[in-house]
Amino acid sequence: MDGPDVGWYLIVAAILFGIGALGVMMRRSPLIVLLSLELMLNAANLTLIAFARQQGDLGGQIFALAVMAVAAAEVAIGLGLIVAMARRHMLLDVDQASALRG
Amino acid sequence: MGTVIVWIVWFAAAGACLGTGVAVVSMTNPFYSALSLIGNLASLAVLFLLLSAEFLAAAQVLVYAGAVMVMFLFVVAYLGGRADAPWAGGPPLLRGAAIVAAVALLTEIVVVLGLAWGDNLTDPAEVSGSFGSPAAIGEAFLTDHLLAFEITSIVLLVAAVGGVILGTTGEKDEEVA
Amino acid sequence: MVASAWVCLFSPLVGALTITLAGTRISRKTAAWISTLTTFIAFGGALVAFIGLSAEGHGDREIVSTAYTWLESGDFQVELQILLDTLSSTMMLIVSGVGGLIVWYSMGYMEGDDEERRYFAYMSLFVFSMLLLVQAGNFLLLLVGWGLVGLASYLLIGFWHHKPEAVAAAKKAFVMNAIGDATMALAIVLMIWTASGQTGFLEVFALVEGGDSEISNSTPITLIALGLLGGAVAKSAQIPLHTWLPDAMEGPTPVSALIHAATMVTAGVYLLVRASPIFEAAPDVQRLAAILGAITLLVAGVIALVQWDIKRVIAYSTMSQIGYMFLAAGIGAYGFAIFHLLTHAFFKALLFMSAGVVIHHLADEQDIRRMGGLRSLMPRTHLAFLVGSLALVGIPIFSGFWSKDGVLASSLALGGEFGWTLYVAGLVGALLTGLYTFRLYFTVFHGEPSDLVKELAHNGHGEGPQSMLLPVGVLSVLATIGGLVVIPGVWEPFIHWIDETAESVPHPTVAQDYATSAIAVFLGLVGFLLARRAFVSGRQLVTRPGIWRVLEHKLYFDELYDALFFRPAGAVSVALRRNVEEPVVERSLDGIGAGTIQLGGEVARVQSGLLRTYAIAIAFAVAVLVVVFVAAR
Repeated sequence: MDGPDVGWYLIVAAILFGIGALGVMMRRSPLIVLLSLELMLNAANLTLIAFARQQGDLGGQIFALAVMAVAAAEVAIGLGLIVAMARRHMLLDVDQASALRG
Repeated sequence: MGTVIVWIVWFAAAGACLGTGVAVVSMTNPFYSALSLIGNLASLAVLFLLLSAEFLAAAQVLVYAGAVMVMFLFVVAYLGGRADAPWAGGPPLLRGAAIVAAVALLTEIVVVLGLAWGDNLTDPAEVSGSFGSPAAIGEAFLTDHLLAFEITSIVLLVAAVGGVILGTTGEKDEEVA
Repeated sequence: MVASAWVCLFSPLVGALTITLAGTRISRKTAAWISTLTTFIAFGGALVAFIGLSAEGHGDREIVSTAYTWLESGDFQVELQILLDTLSSTMMLIVSGVGGLIVWYSMGYMEGDDEERRYFAYMSLFVFSMLLLVQAGNFLLLLVGWGLVGLASYLLIGFWHHKPEAVAAAKKAFVMNAIGDATMALAIVLMIWTASGQTGFLEVFALVEGGDSEISNSTPITLIALGLLGGAVAKSAQIPLHTWLPDAMEGPTPVSALIHAATMVTAGVYLLVRASPIFEAAPDVQRLAAILGAITLLVAGVIALVQWDIKRVIAYSTMSQIGYMFLAAGIGAYGFAIFHLLTHAFFKALLFMSAGVVIHHLADEQDIRRMGGLRSLMPRTHLAFLVGSLALVGIPIFSGFWSKDGVLASSLALGGEFGWTLYVAGLVGALLTGLYTFRLYFTVFHGEPSDLVKELAHNGHGEGPQSMLLPVGVLSVLATIGGLVVIPGVWEPFIHWIDETAESVPHPTVAQDYATSAIAVFLGLVGFLLARRAFVSGRQLVTRPGIWRVLEHKLYFDELYDALFFRPAGAVSVALRRNVEEPVVERSLDGIGAGTIQLGGEVARVQSGLLRTYAIAIAFAVAVLVVVFVAAR
């Protein structure tokens, strides 16, 4: 294979995953949280495809495609939730939405 | 020569990927965050191409960057000023814990990679030119991974229905499709 | 024959259960009839068993019948078994016969009481318990019957539970009986331990007499005998566990007649005779029983001289007569002990029941100072009471004469220092009996009618309902002729009958017997004359104020026990309550409750509802899991 080994791609994916995790845990706007979530999913996709190339097995790419579909679905629902929250004039702040406290 | 170009492209794409990733997480204006994510997706597409996943690269651009991010931008536009996301972080303990967790995860992954590099990651398999082509993907989807294919379609259906319901709640005279 | 014994045992239980389960669906009268009839059925069963047993040959009169194995643990086995022999069949007849008459009498006495059904259920329960006691074939079942009669006694003494004195008396009776129960239980445990796990009468006695089992060693057998004696002393109200019996007169008169005269208090005597092999193997304990009997008969006789309550006089008389029975059993004169038990059941029940007629007629008045002159107003009752008194004092030919003199003659026959001391004590007791009995008789029935009597005697109707007078009549007849089953020198079938189970040791000669009778009758008549002289001249029998006060306070036993046991126990319990119960037990329980709530509150804080906290928690969890998975490879 030309270019870097598969391992390099994996490192990139790992860093991307970490960045996304930080975003999910540290931001208060649900929109940004969703975007960070996308980052994490994409990092996973990159890992899958790297390993598909490494093993010569198309299953990884199929999996990545399914992940993409699921991510799209999840974003749709998530955005729907945010719109619903906005419609009810709720504050778009994850810390405020703590109705599930025990 | 070819190898050098590949390396340069790789570095550019990887750098763009990580840079836009940081931008997504740190911007206060959600519009800019979304735009950064588009850039991230594009750079990821380039990386996919380098890994012989042509179809996926195309799908990434079409679906993700094209459809999903457009959805995002629509919502951001709808929300207008309400979507502003200042960096007000929350209790310092929480922030500290978050950073620690992320760093821990990262370190672990790197360690695992380091341990495994020598054995598993040095010889990529030999693949034909049609590896990752639409034909190959299509064939795999409809033979070995047919179940995944069908279930994915159901997931998408459910998401569509859910989206409609979420959108129409509150307007009682509207029928759900 | 054996089946009839089982019928005898369970018939009153069926009666009690029927009355209990039927509750208010049956009338009070019906409950009374059920109780009476089941008791008479029991008598029928006892009679059949008795006849059947007497038809058997001489050596065959010992039948054990087992229903099923009640307890089983390894080698240790206790069966539900009854022992039908001469002793138990006699006791069955006494209990069910006299019991039946008294329950019949209660129909009239308790009529109109609101809780009549409860009364008759308890009476049937008592009859069943007493029958279980006398029919039991092993010590454990005996203990069950023992405890149950104590329970029935408690329930019946405290029957009028709105009267605080009655409740207190019931508790007192129960607690004192419990002391006896405890010693008995300990004795039985020791017996099980040393007699290779046997509890059946025949088996244990065989081991004791055999001589080579652990139980026949001196220390265990003495301890066992002491424990059994403790139970007998408590149940039969002998000194020192006697203070409950006078107080037990708070119960209805038929209860006093049945439980505290004819049957329950005689259970101690039955035990002494039944376990005679054990007592004979521990002769010191047996002598102790005789000594306690002698002391009790004197003390009770003396206290009875100054009592004003008609029932209390009769109660002390009971205590005294049982002292005679203990004396007899203590010297080995088992036949005469049971014979005196039989005659005593007749005449004491008769005395109580006729006293009950008087009380009933005088609207529940029990103080003899407010009675008098009833002889002409209640002639039949007067006659019954007179018969009972003559029998009690031991005037020939009434029943008490034959039995009491037999007891005294046996102690004479025993001889030695011991025998002579007991003999003299018994004779003094005879004098005392004459004194207090006729004091009572004269005060109640002779002299001028008191104001109360004049007031109430104008009711016009008879002395009492038929259901009360008929049983009194039957008992009068029995008290008169019941002693004729033993005429020394002529025939002694009763003594021979009992001898088959428990062989008497002293055998008085005919001469000794008649000589004793002469002296005893003489003393009884002296008592009669002294009492009459005192009555006619309007004096009391005991005039010295110091002695009078001591006797009136029943020799201060109650006060002594109060200071020795009750006050310290009370102080200890209050101290424990203050220093242990409240700070330690209650606080710790409260602490557990409060602590749990607090802990729950702390743990609930984890559920903050904050999304980010949850996300961070997930991230940490994943981090840990990764390490685990990698390390596990």
